[in-house]
Amino acid sequence: MEIRKNAGFVKWVVVIAVILVVVTWTTGKYNSFVALNQKVDTQWAQVENQFQRRFDLVPNLVNTVKGITKQELEVFTAIAEARTRYSGAQTTDAKVTAANEYQSALGRLLVVVENYPQLKSSDSFNALMAELAGTENRVAVERGRFNEVVGEYNVATKRVPGSLIAMLFGFDKKELFKAQDGAQTTPVVDFQ
Amino acid sequence: MTKRLARIASVTLTLIGAGFFAFAVAYTSPGSPTGFVNDFANILDSETKANLETKLSAFEQKTTHEIVVVTIPTLGDDYIENYAVKLFEEWGIGKKDADNGILFLVALNDRKVRIEVGYGLEGALVDSEANTIIQDYVLPEFKAGDYVKGIEAGVGGIIAATEGEVVSTQGTSSSSTDWGEIGFFIIFALFWGVNILIQIFASSKSWWLGGVLGGGAGALITIFGLFGVTLTLGIIISAIFAIVGLLFDYVVSKNSDSILKKFRKGGDGGMWTGGGFGGKSSGGGFGGFGGGSSGGGGSSGSW
Repeated sequence: MEIRKNAGFVKWVVVIAVILVVVTWTTGKYNSFVALNQKVDTQWAQVENQFQRRFDLVPNLVNTVKGITKQELEVFTAIAEARTRYSGAQTTDAKVTAANEYQSALGRLLVVVENYPQLKSSDSFNALMAELAGTENRVAVERGRFNEVVGEYNVATKRVPGSLIAMLFGFDKKELFKAQDGAQTTPVVDFQ
Repeated sequence: MTKRLARIASVTLTLIGAGFFAFAVAYTSPGSPTGFVNDFANILDSETKANLETKLSAFEQKTTHEIVVVTIPTLGDDYIENYAVKLFEEWGIGKKDADNGILFLVALNDRKVRIEVGYGLEGALVDSEANTIIQDYVLPEFKAGDYVKGIEAGVGGIIAATEGEVVSTQGTSSSSTDWGEIGFFIIFALFWGVNILIQIFASSKSWWLGGVLGGGAGALITIFGLFGVTLTLGIIISAIFAIVGLLFDYVVSKNSDSILKKFRKGGDGGMWTGGGFGGKSSGGGFGGFGGGSSGGGGSSGSW
C-alpha cells in the first residue's frame, strides 16, 4: 500500500518536473532567438547607415569630377540610377543589389579620375578621396559584422533541438551579404 | 601631389574590390596590450617609449580618450584595414559608452600605417584629417627612415585633433544598462544559489527539506509583505514555493549519488553549463582599455 502510493506520487513529480523543464527551456530558447534577431536588425541598420553616408558623399565627388571633365560620362548616369533604385528598394535583397550596383559604378568613377591629372592637384579632391576610402572601409566593416551576427543567428536557429523552437515560432534562415558577380574583377571604364 | 593621389585612389579601389572578402582573411592577435604604447616590432627606444606612454596616459587622464600606439613586424596575409578593426575590437580601445579610442598602427615589414578612429571620435578626427596626419606628418619621416620621429609626429597630430573633443562616458540610457547588469547578476546568483541548494539537498538524507524551506520562504514573504503581496497571494505563493521546493529536493535526493560525484569532480561542471561569461583578460599588470569600439573610420597609408 505504502509503495503504491509512493509510486503514484513519483509519477506526478516526474510529469510536473518534465513540464517545468520543457517550459523553461522553450522560453529561454525563444528569448535567445528574439535577442539574436534584434542583433541582426540592429547591425543591418548600421549597414544602411554607412550606405547613407556613401550616398551623401558621392554627389560631391561627382560634382568635382564633372567640373573638370566637362562632358557627360556614362558612369554619372549609372551612379544616379543606382541611387534612385536604392531609394525605391523595398526589400533587403533589392537594397543589397542596388548598393552593389552603386559600388561598382563608384569603382568605375575612380578609374575615370585616374585619367584627369588636373583633379589630383586639388586639396578638396584629396580630402574627398580620403573620406571616400573611409566610407568604403566602414561599409566593409559593418557588412562583415552583419554577416557575423547573421551567421550566429543561423547556427543558433539550426542547431538541434533549438531548431524545433525556431521552426515553431518562424525564426527563418537569414541571408548573408554576398559578393555580386564581377566584384572580383577591377572595374573597366569606357570613354566615349 | 599626383603620386600621392594615385596612392589614395588605389587604396580606395582596393577597398572597394576587396570589401566583400574583407573578413575572409586571417587576423592573428599580437597579444595583450602592455600600455598605451605597444612596440611589438621593436622600433622604439625605451626612452621614447616611456615618454610616449607618459604623454598618452596624461592625455587619457585629462580627456578620457584612449590613444594607443601599436607597431607590429608583419600583418601576415591580412591587410591593414581589417587588422586594425580586429585589434581595436579585441582590445576594446576607448571608453565603453563613449567609444573614444584611437589606434595608431604601424606594420613595419608591410610598410603600412593606419589611424583607426573609434565611433565617438569620428567627428573630431574625420578621415581626411587622419589622412593629412599620415601623409604630411608621419610618412615623410618614415620615408627618411626615422620611425621614432614619425610616430611622435603622428601622436602629436592625433592629440591636437582630439583634445578639444569632450565626450560623456556616461551611457545615454543608464537605466537600461543597469537593468541588463542586474539581470545578469540575478541569473548568476540564481545559478549559484541553485548549485548550493543542490549540494545541500543531495547530501541531506531527507527528500522533504526543500518543501519545508520553500514553504518557509513563501511564509516569510507573506509575513513581511515583501514585493507588496497580499495575504491570499502570499498563501498561494507559499504553496507554490513549497511544491517546487519539494519536487526539487525529491529529484535531487533521488540522484544524490551521481550529483555529489559530479560536484566533487570539478566545481561547476555538468549540470549548469551554458552560462560561461567571463571578462576580457588583459595581462601584464596593465589594466586594459575601456571596451570601446570602432567601425572602420580613419585612414591608411604606405611608405
